[in-house]
Amino acid sequence: MLNSKSITKRVFRWETFLILLLLIEVLVFGLINPRFLMPRVLLGSINNFMTISVVALFVTLVLVTGGIDIQSGAIVGLTSITIGVLWNDVGMNLYLALVIGLLVGTACGALSGFFVAYTEVQPMVVTLGGSFLYSGIALLITNFSATEAYKGISGFPEEFSQFVRGRIFGIIPHQLLIFLFLVIITYILLHRTKYGRYVFLCGVNKHAATYCGIRTKQIVMSTYVLSGLGAAIAGILLTAYLGTAKTDLGKEITLPVITAVVLGGTSNLGGTGGVIGTALAAFVIGILRFGLSLANVNTQYLDIPVGILLVLAVAIRFSGSNPTVQKFIGKLRRSKDLRKNN
Amino acid sequence: MMKKIIIALMVLLLVSSVAFAGGAKESAASDDVTVVFVPKLTGNAFFEAANDGAQAYAEKHGFTVKYDGSPEASVANQVTVIDNAINSGADAVVVSSVDATGLDQIMKEAMSAGVKAVTWDSDVSGDARTVMVSQGTPDILGKMLVDMLADSIAERGKNPAKDAIKYVWHYSQATVADQNSWRVAGEAYIKEKYPNWVNVNPSNYYSEQDAEKAITIGEAILMANPDIDGIICNDSTALPGQAQAAQNLGLDKNDVSITGFAPPNSMKNYARADVLARWGLWDCQIQGALGCYLGYYLATGNDIRVGDKIDVPDIGVVEVFPNTVLDANAYTADDSGVVLLPERVVFTTSNMDNYNF
Repeated sequence: MLNSKSITKRVFRWETFLILLLLIEVLVFGLINPRFLMPRVLLGSINNFMTISVVALFVTLVLVTGGIDIQSGAIVGLTSITIGVLWNDVGMNLYLALVIGLLVGTACGALSGFFVAYTEVQPMVVTLGGSFLYSGIALLITNFSATEAYKGISGFPEEFSQFVRGRIFGIIPHQLLIFLFLVIITYILLHRTKYGRYVFLCGVNKHAATYCGIRTKQIVMSTYVLSGLGAAIAGILLTAYLGTAKTDLGKEITLPVITAVVLGGTSNLGGTGGVIGTALAAFVIGILRFGLSLANVNTQYLDIPVGILLVLAVAIRFSGSNPTVQKFIGKLRRSKDLRKNN
Repeated sequence: MMKKIIIALMVLLLVSSVAFAGGAKESAASDDVTVVFVPKLTGNAFFEAANDGAQAYAEKHGFTVKYDGSPEASVANQVTVIDNAINSGADAVVVSSVDATGLDQIMKEAMSAGVKAVTWDSDVSGDARTVMVSQGTPDILGKMLVDMLADSIAERGKNPAKDAIKYVWHYSQATVADQNSWRVAGEAYIKEKYPNWVNVNPSNYYSEQDAEKAITIGEAILMANPDIDGIICNDSTALPGQAQAAQNLGLDKNDVSITGFAPPNSMKNYARADVLARWGLWDCQIQGALGCYLGYYLATGNDIRVGDKIDVPDIGVVEVFPNTVLDANAYTADDSGVVLLPERVVFTTSNMDNYNF
């Protein structure tokens, strides 16, 4: 691990850069529309991209192993409708239903993870199939409900929705605290444990990892289990936040989740990345969308700046490690030095 | 060095996106009242037409309508759009909800933040908005469907009041609330007014808003029942599919009467080819305009109470009915009501070119 230091250094720099970007956003949007800077408004906007942020944290682990997970949106919906039907139609205690919802999401992750790890099928194909399978099962489950599929199950107890919708001192949303808690958990898991180092190793070189005696198949499968769990947590948060359980909740998050992970500095080829970067990138995107929308840009055009940001940022990030570009920069530097000497 | 380039590029990106934002801002500053008009999704002919109507009306009557929605219909996206409307200080939101209850929380938040809450086309719970602009009650729309069919049958030389007319219903699916309520009301009206009519398939035909399936099902109906007199397609995908099916089989309006609900643009070619004589819809441009006007009306300090009559410039006097006109079990309160569109339109070759949506 000769260049491990330079890798961590580069990741650290990328995260500083994301923080800088976030500050610039707050500054610029604050200048355009001063309402943006009201703490209640700014912090409240976090509620609207929390699902993506939470799922992205866990999907980071999958991308670090060199895999990809495009089924998390389907698991969000499946968790939501499972909880709704168990609580509303089966008459189960809500908290027991929440636990079963978490188990269902985790089991979905485990099933796909098993196929990714133990067969040679591409993770993209497995999780694409998973997304169809789980959203199909979600629709099937609605048949056990007296409520029609297009309506959604509502009427959850006030305390459930208040736990997620509530704000401390009327300003800080509970969801932000839940998110920070999850960031700490996933950070410790990925960056401070032996397990986390194994996850990275699987992404750097799976064969080498296997020869070192690491059970790579189990490690790879476990990352999908965790991302299933993350999607289930997001499903519970979204159900409580909207106050309705529906099969199609979360269907739009798949690509935004991948966007946040990649912008956060995790390579989709595996081996590098981190949850702090993902968390920051999710905020950079969320605040960008919110700020532009307060600056009166129509919601349907908000994908444009996000697309530009993603392509530019990732291009710059990777060109930094591209030998041709490095040579070019080196040449520039040398010619500058030459001129100085002259 | 590299870092500086990166930062410079990012600042450039942000500044350009802001410039992009600034361009859109111009129009908003000119008027006092801003109504945010939220479709289920953007890019759909029905909602775009409603927006055209709303924009033209707002421009004429001196308030601003901001059309804001996501290209993907989802509860979470609509919640974000409404939340942003509240935060950006809009005066009213006028929403076609993708979910019957999912927007209740955010609409209530809007109302408590002083933003007036109106729905159109597709409702939320009665206590989460002040007024809903509805296309019509099930009774009105069911009767309209049956009357259009009876008129077309009469034109073919049959007597709808005496002959044993064979008919069926062809629409999206059994689980859709509005279309089923129209069929139930239409059937009741047939029983009462035309007891001589025979429904050859009382369990109905469904094509699930799938354009190809609508044609396949449409052909199946015509081949299974060669002597059928009328097909009612109370779904905007089923109607063009059924007309295409009749055209494929070489049938026209003198062989079988097809009618239903669809935007005029989707049916003009079939009407010109004499495949069908008439079909209908409410004018969604007026629906959009009326929704936005009521948002503006509330935002300028007026109250809306059940039983009120509101004089809407260019549209006419509308009455506020209790929520029970749409659904007998609905929430009732003095400050929560329904406004019905004053009129619905029957399209024929003689008037269809006056409508562009």
